[in-house]
Amino acid sequence: MTPETLYLSPSAQLPYCRGCGHSLVVRQLSHALERLGLPPRSVVLTTDIGCVGLADSLFPYLHTVHTTHGRSTAFATGMALADVVMESQGLKPIVMIGDGGAMIGLLHLVHAAQLNVDITVLIHNNFMFGMTGGQHSALSPLNWVTATTPDGNSTPPLDLLALLRTAHATFLARRFATSADLGTTIAGALNHSGFAAVEIVELCTAYGARWNQVTGASIEGIVEQQGQAIGELETEIERPTFRDLYRHELKSPRPKRARPAVPRINATARLAGEIRLVIAGTAGERVQSAAALLCRSALAAGLYSTQKNDNPVTQGSGFSLSEICLSPKPIEYTGMESPDVVLVVSEDGWKELQANGTLAACREETLLLVDSQIDVILPIGQMMRLPLRREANPQRAALCAIAAWLEKESLLPAEAWDAVLAAEPAERRVESAAALEIGRRLAGEVVSSS
Amino acid sequence: MLAEGALAAGCRFFAGYPITPASEIYEVMMRELPAFGGLALSAPDEISSLCYCVGASLRGLKALTATSGPGWALMIESAQYALMTETPVVVALVQRLGPSTGGATQGAQGDVSLTEYSISGGYTLPVFSPSNAAECFELTVHAFNWSERLRTPVLLLSDKEVGMTTEVVDDEALQIPSLVSRKMAASKANYAPYDAPEPESVPAFAAVGGEIKATVTGSAHDVQGRLRKNSPEVISGLQRLQRKIEAHAEEMALVRPDLDPDARCLLISYGVTARAARQAVSKLRSQGVRISFLQIQSLFPIPRRWLDWAAAGMEAVFVAEENLTGQYRAALTPYLSGKRIYGINRIGSLISPTEIARAMQGVMA
Repeated sequence: MTPETLYLSPSAQLPYCRGCGHSLVVRQLSHALERLGLPPRSVVLTTDIGCVGLADSLFPYLHTVHTTHGRSTAFATGMALADVVMESQGLKPIVMIGDGGAMIGLLHLVHAAQLNVDITVLIHNNFMFGMTGGQHSALSPLNWVTATTPDGNSTPPLDLLALLRTAHATFLARRFATSADLGTTIAGALNHSGFAAVEIVELCTAYGARWNQVTGASIEGIVEQQGQAIGELETEIERPTFRDLYRHELKSPRPKRARPAVPRINATARLAGEIRLVIAGTAGERVQSAAALLCRSALAAGLYSTQKNDNPVTQGSGFSLSEICLSPKPIEYTGMESPDVVLVVSEDGWKELQANGTLAACREETLLLVDSQIDVILPIGQMMRLPLRREANPQRAALCAIAAWLEKESLLPAEAWDAVLAAEPAERRVESAAALEIGRRLAGEVVSSS
Repeated sequence: MLAEGALAAGCRFFAGYPITPASEIYEVMMRELPAFGGLALSAPDEISSLCYCVGASLRGLKALTATSGPGWALMIESAQYALMTETPVVVALVQRLGPSTGGATQGAQGDVSLTEYSISGGYTLPVFSPSNAAECFELTVHAFNWSERLRTPVLLLSDKEVGMTTEVVDDEALQIPSLVSRKMAASKANYAPYDAPEPESVPAFAAVGGEIKATVTGSAHDVQGRLRKNSPEVISGLQRLQRKIEAHAEEMALVRPDLDPDARCLLISYGVTARAARQAVSKLRSQGVRISFLQIQSLFPIPRRWLDWAAAGMEAVFVAEENLTGQYRAALTPYLSGKRIYGINRIGSLISPTEIARAMQGVMA
């Protein structure tokens, strides 16, 4: 078997129009592969949609993947990325894409360049869409006549390589399909470790040559007029490929995360049925983390729990709330038809409970512990006012409210809290214990507002 | 738990893009996958996410991405490619309130029809829908298994309420199926990438980069993967893509039935609403109402035999789901002929057990 038969057969019937640059590219690619002696099974030819998409069938021994329009680069990137974690090494994806595909899949080119994945992209720039009937593309020159710009294109063409340079591409070159150096340039791109793009300027003989006064030679003038350099472009200094970087990281990965240990205590919670509780306050004031501590304490005491958090889309401002269900049995419905307990530690929280209908859903027997600074016009349910923010501080008010409620209900054994706090980081532990203590004290001093 | 299920299922590639309420899966995979010897990375958009996953799967890796409705809308093109090229991949679609960007932090079950009708030509994507954290784990393993076995994209249809609720899971009670991997091509001799022994079976897989030449195409092709127009071989290949799913529909079926042989009324639900439904059923039964309940975990292909069995002898069937028009009810209706069918629907918040019980009592009275 001669090397040539490994790639493109010399007798291959190329499917392209007479004079089309694609035929030249296919042959030059084959020569470049021969020159480098790449084993055929270490190469995957990934073709895009359009006339370039017919190229894969011409290479009978390479892996071939014919993809969707513009996405060839992304599929090839995925194949290259997989190399990082596979024992086999050194798959070389080659992407064959047109100017239309390059534009619709521009993001994929940019990201592949940024990642510096080891792929070679051959961008066949014939200034237009060929297979679909000669429409203009984002790379059509000014005044270029196409099926969709019959009076000439008036949108300036994109300089794709200049753009990819800003994405830190490490190998960029522009050649004419007719250039004697094309094979050398393609070989250089294939030999490059990392992202390489070669823009190959050519003429669509079916449409470009028919509607425009051009020849193979005059397109060189067009490229020159566009101020686009020919040959290998200067790129930034070499940088590691994605594979090198990630493999380095894989050598010392962060250890597998241990599941948070569930503290087990001997005492169990005194809870016959479900309790549904809402804690509402202000974002950034540890409302949801206090709720999580409650759920962990409940778990320590043998209860099931669910916790749903809500906050405005901004995350760090406005209200923050948690809806919790505690139960001795597995919990099905996690919503809040009518809460049994409502803890409100800030004005933001109170307003949100008004807005989302929670307050309206309270029953006569619903217990509400509400910070005394909140302006409450009409008391609801069994309401108690506590100086949570003043006595604890805003950051600890939610945990303080939980402690006050639990002190009143004596639902969870104190050991449950001890066990959960023991698992907390030291600095957090002291603060949380203080908040619990204040809450318990306030519960003793509570004065009902009703 | 979905991410943990993926790790347990052998997933070694993840590409993601941030979107509420699916970002947690992305974050967990970014944090955890390297320790499993896998690769997790950030893609520049959802199209790239799924393309990267498909590319990695073409190399033989089990791959996952996670998104919500707006991201799935972008991924459909590549999901079709995965289906056509018979490339295994799992997509977690954590639903939120639509249309468009809708309500990012609100739950919904509004993407059911979008998953049912994602594929040009009406092909069936297997869809599994978990209702709680434990099911997220279990169904993710099932999703990977079926994706590998049938070489097809599989969807996990979760939602904000399932994906972002913290709850207690009993690890020891998890029912984890044993792992399945795609069948690999054994030898180069006479290998045809899209040749399957039966009209409903799955071709053996040759990985890109392996010793056997891989030929992959999303265009209509013959068994060799050559671009062809309407030859009988191409058409039978296109038929096989659907037949391989249908032939395994009953085996893929996953339901949690709670039937009462004396009931005349069946309640069906799935995903997060199944939890309210189960609670409504207890409530109604405690009031002496005879009622059967079927939670469907494998939404598509529709578990016909279970449905027939559960609906036998029923006069009325209720379908509770958190969407406006009863998307899954519409999908089930052709298989419930002769029954009175009622929808229990709402958008914007969870359907409550009281709401379900009331709706059913209203009809039954």
